[in-house]
Amino acid sequence: MSEPTTPVFSVRDLWKVFGPGADRIPGSEHAALPSTELRERTGCTAAVRNVSFDVDKGEVFVVMGLSGSGKSTLVRCLTRLIEPTSGTLAIDGEDVLAMDRTRLRELRRHRAAMVFQHFGLLPHRTVLDNVAYGLEIQGLGKAERRARAAELVEKVGLGGLEDRRPAQLSGGQQQRVGLARALAVDPSVLLFDEPFSALDPLIRREMQDEVVRLHREEGRTMVFITHDLSEALRLGTRIALMRDGEIVQLGTPEEIVGSPADDYVRAFVRDVPREQVLTVATAMRPPSAGEGDHGPALRPEATVSEAIEAVARSGDPVARVMKDGRLVGVVDHACLLDVVAGTGAQAVTV
Amino acid sequence: MATAQAATGPAAGPGTAGPLAALRGRPALGKLLLLLVIAAVAVPVVHARWGGGIWPGALTVDLGGPLGEVNDWIIGNRDSHPLFLHFFGHISNAVVLSVRGVYLALLALGWAGVTAVAALVAWRTAGVRLALTAGLSFLACGLLGMWVPTMQTLALMVVAVLVSVVLGMLLGLAAGLSDRTFRLLRPVLDTMQVLPAFAYLLPVVLIFGIGVPGAVLATVVYAAPPMARLTALGLRGADAGVMEAVASLGATGRQRLLTARLPLARKELLLGLNQTIMMALSMAVIASVIGAGGLGDRVYQALSSVDVGAALAAGIPIVLLAVVLDRTTEAAGRKLGTEPTGPAALRGRRGWGAVAVITAAVAVLGRFTGGRIWPESGVVAIAGPVNTAKDWMVDHLYTGIPVIGGTADWAAHFTNWILNPLRSGLQGLPWWSVLLIVAALAWTIGTWRTALTAVLAMAGIGVLGVWELSMDTLSQVLAAVAVTLVLGFAIAVGAARSTRLERLLRPVLDVFQTMPQFVYLIPVVALFGVGRAPAAAAAVVYALPAVVRITTQGLRGVDPAAMECARSLGATPGQQLRQVQLPLARPALLLAVNQGVVLVLAVVIIGGLVGSGALGYEVVFGLAQGDLATGLVAGAAIVCLGLMLDRVTQPTTRRQRKES
Amino acid sequence: MARTRTRAHLRTTATVASAAALLAVTGCGAADMTKQASPFAAPADIKTVTLSVQSWVGAQANVAVAQKLLEDELGYRVDLVQTDEVPAWDALSQGRVDAILEDWGHPDQEKLYVEDKKTIVPGGDLGVTGHIGWYVPAYWAEEHPDVTEWKNLDKYADELRTPESGDKGQLMDGSPSYVTNDKALVKNLGLDYKVVFAGSEAAQITQIQQFAKEKKPFLSYWYQPQWLFNEVPMVEVELPEYSDACAAKAPEDIDCAYPTTPLQKYLNADFSKRGGEAAAFLKKFHWSEKDQNKVSEMIASERLAPGEAAERWIEENPATWKKWLDR
Repeated sequence: MSEPTTPVFSVRDLWKVFGPGADRIPGSEHAALPSTELRERTGCTAAVRNVSFDVDKGEVFVVMGLSGSGKSTLVRCLTRLIEPTSGTLAIDGEDVLAMDRTRLRELRRHRAAMVFQHFGLLPHRTVLDNVAYGLEIQGLGKAERRARAAELVEKVGLGGLEDRRPAQLSGGQQQRVGLARALAVDPSVLLFDEPFSALDPLIRREMQDEVVRLHREEGRTMVFITHDLSEALRLGTRIALMRDGEIVQLGTPEEIVGSPADDYVRAFVRDVPREQVLTVATAMRPPSAGEGDHGPALRPEATVSEAIEAVARSGDPVARVMKDGRLVGVVDHACLLDVVAGTGAQAVTV
Repeated sequence: MATAQAATGPAAGPGTAGPLAALRGRPALGKLLLLLVIAAVAVPVVHARWGGGIWPGALTVDLGGPLGEVNDWIIGNRDSHPLFLHFFGHISNAVVLSVRGVYLALLALGWAGVTAVAALVAWRTAGVRLALTAGLSFLACGLLGMWVPTMQTLALMVVAVLVSVVLGMLLGLAAGLSDRTFRLLRPVLDTMQVLPAFAYLLPVVLIFGIGVPGAVLATVVYAAPPMARLTALGLRGADAGVMEAVASLGATGRQRLLTARLPLARKELLLGLNQTIMMALSMAVIASVIGAGGLGDRVYQALSSVDVGAALAAGIPIVLLAVVLDRTTEAAGRKLGTEPTGPAALRGRRGWGAVAVITAAVAVLGRFTGGRIWPESGVVAIAGPVNTAKDWMVDHLYTGIPVIGGTADWAAHFTNWILNPLRSGLQGLPWWSVLLIVAALAWTIGTWRTALTAVLAMAGIGVLGVWELSMDTLSQVLAAVAVTLVLGFAIAVGAARSTRLERLLRPVLDVFQTMPQFVYLIPVVALFGVGRAPAAAAAVVYALPAVVRITTQGLRGVDPAAMECARSLGATPGQQLRQVQLPLARPALLLAVNQGVVLVLAVVIIGGLVGSGALGYEVVFGLAQGDLATGLVAGAAIVCLGLMLDRVTQPTTRRQRKES
Repeated sequence: MARTRTRAHLRTTATVASAAALLAVTGCGAADMTKQASPFAAPADIKTVTLSVQSWVGAQANVAVAQKLLEDELGYRVDLVQTDEVPAWDALSQGRVDAILEDWGHPDQEKLYVEDKKTIVPGGDLGVTGHIGWYVPAYWAEEHPDVTEWKNLDKYADELRTPESGDKGQLMDGSPSYVTNDKALVKNLGLDYKVVFAGSEAAQITQIQQFAKEKKPFLSYWYQPQWLFNEVPMVEVELPEYSDACAAKAPEDIDCAYPTTPLQKYLNADFSKRGGEAAAFLKKFHWSEKDQNKVSEMIASERLAPGEAAERWIEENPATWKKWLDR
């Protein structure tokens, strides 16, 4: 699926090691040690180990993992809020690690904006001035930045609250301010660091919808950090699953759920309602003779649960999977049940 | 030397050695055992070499000679040496000019103008009630016939506070932004905060001589540390999440500091300002001893003619100033981050504009109608009635009251039964055992570092050659602290129980705490005679408010869930107090002890003026006779004593505290 | 990395700023702080005299009368500075004070400032004679007439015990700023007494008044002229006779009574030359013990403001003060 255009972020062999003599760890004999042993031997902690990936333009790249897996460190390395220990890192093909202070500041000001778990709002400023803060940093005039900020306040649904202070807002509202502040600078990529984990489930859902909407409407590239699998599956174009600083698996939600790379990932995705993630393209089998003439037609990217519904409604034993008016396969009860039960040996084909 | 061993030994720490492993669960016991072992080895050697009893003469250093020479050199070169002409001279000049500028400005505003400014500023920052208090307070200063001295003190304060704040913020910025500076500066600032004000006077007098410049600089040295300390803490305590967010937006270092770090520390900055103002005020009064003029001078003069009434007339404006300044800055701190209130036309800049306009109008009006200086006819003399009241009290309380005896009898008993045995006990203790006790106390309650500091401070006293005098002062401090704690805890338990009692106590405590220490001295002499007893009494009165307040807050702050739980189990009020409140309020109690000790020491030193003798007398003597050798050595010993007492009563985690 | 660099940058800025500030303060010219006036002094177009007031009431009486006359008759504005005696000499030498009206004898300071540095000049006799000694209350001396002889003091040591003096008799001293040989005297005369310092004259007076109310015996360092004698009559204890030879001994060896001192005035040298009428007036200021006591009493026992007391005396004694104004 990767296209010839330059990826927004291109990360290769990235390491971040904390502790004494951290820069000697990558590439040494200690590099492969498990984290506890590494700490005992060298006193160092490797938060990010040898990570490589690309973030493509327009995608929502989700980095998922439990706390301590290094995902938050990783996202901070992208704009050098945390200085990586080794590796290469490019944004739109430009080497980030080689940037001087001014260039790096330009990067942070215009190209990548971040939304934080604990919002990071300035308590002494009003909502409007918080949203305008990024623009103020850039040196924009007061009237101009306020006008722009007012637009964004409206856009994230906080109209009328411009003069409040952060302390007077609910958590969800505060995060909308955080989002508006990031959007105000019109960055080419948005970085989210577990933005919704401090929020109530209902609000979280609402905010996720907001992100989905933003992505759909503006097609902005996003890197999204989360520890919540369902959030990852809901938002992610691709998901990188991290454990102990390493990426254990990188793929589409369907790949992660459908063919976990190892037991860790398997355990992770065990409780996921697979029929809502996996597509019929995964579940289908080649049609036997005669199966291609009748039964409901489905797109390959339809989810299994949609297929189940279609089959159940039509009363036909099989449903046809059609791509561009051409039959590519069929799904019957057995295929669909295999997905639900997780018993079939799916070979994911994309 | 025992000190060195006792101090470095602990570095190994308990529990590292095999046999001590069993003591891991009881660190205090382990520390004490280790100390015991060290003592068992070192004491016989030390004892054989230098003997017991008071600090051995062989280990002292005589600073009298060199200090005397320094003193003479300064007097000889004060008007010729470039250091004085080109450095101190200009500082002194700048102070004189700025104090004069402020003073003339205040006089130009006139009493109406100044009162208007005070009331309007209080109104802008804290609301109508405080505005009323501020206005009335300034009018009261005029009514008491203290307008000019009040303005002098205010002028001195304005300059001293401004300099303190700028200096404190610069230091705080350095410490807040650099870890190294912070590590270097923090212990110094912490220590400066516990030193008695009196100890600061001599060095400044040495350089600047008697007068306003010296007074202002002593005040700055005394008042800047809290500002520096709180600025540093505030800057360092900035929400890391916010700072990261700001960095992620590409802010430059300057932008990070100005738009985020400093505004985030506003609460601490204002608290720092509040503390600086309060400390500056208390110092400005004490500095009257070195010629600060103003209200302090009036108190000092009144006291020298035993005129309690006149002293009170000058003391009340000090208290009023303190209350107004304290409440205004406190309210400003509280108001931060809340929605502006009041009519829209008076918010923000427009409100301050209104303040300026009204002030100008009132000042002009006042000038045309009443003149600038408070009219002499509008003065209410309170000195007479107050003195009558005081005389009556003394006449009826001094002695011969059936059963309980009079105050003089109490003083005699207190001196004979408590102070004297304690003093002879302390002076009779072998010097090395005092060091050991100090080490044991400081180490059990804190870390080996605090123990080391405490022991070194104590040894410093010995080296200075004022061991015996310091033991005398120490005995007074201990006795007064014991009384303070007993009374303080008793009152606090009552106040924690009854909201009414607390509400009743609060203004009284406020007043007692802001009263200049000087004002207590004469009534206590009248009641308790001359000697150590009145000094102890003054110390108790001065330290009691802080102890009561901290303890009450601590008892009240106990987790209500725990109290509810105890009640649900059917605990009696006594059981609740003993088993829940007191144990849970332990940090507050320790802090109360610490504060009590620090405050008591400050007054016991000033007690040199009423016959408490010992180190306080030496300092007073040094100041009075211009004998800086005596005074400075005693001052240094006081510093050491204060340091030792603070460390011995300081729990490992020092809490941020607000003292005034 | 970026952060440390910003910090370094900030630090540089701070250093430069403080250096600049320092330069602004110190850079140009010399400033002799010994020539600086008080910021609270009256504006320059008014003629100002600054007088030192010592803590005792006699000194307050001198100053009150001088102040009143300077203001009313000569049109000066007078500022008062209260300091102890030795610092007052220092301030006088620096010109922060123009005159001391009552000095009890400070040979060290006199040598340093008058003889060596020549920053202070003598201003002549005040007219009052001062005397320091040991005093007991009259009511007690009447009961035990022999107490006024120092040799008999030991007999009464028991009666004079206080908690502060322990098992010895108490000899009460006052302010640390006063000239005293009492410790040496007690030692050299072999007396069973302990010197207890009241710490300030105020404390000492309060204690004496308290003792007097109770008609208790006491022994105290005290001096004449002093208004308290009118309230609490006291009798001096005879000490071994004063001699110049004895006074010349080292302070710790002194074993004789205090001298009788004609109290002196001192003026700042500059002021003495350029002080015009005020300097001339202060040099001529000369009155008797009786005059001083009258004013002192009004201040101390009647609790009049010093200015008011001075005014009353001025009204009643024009003959005395008119002479001081003669050219």
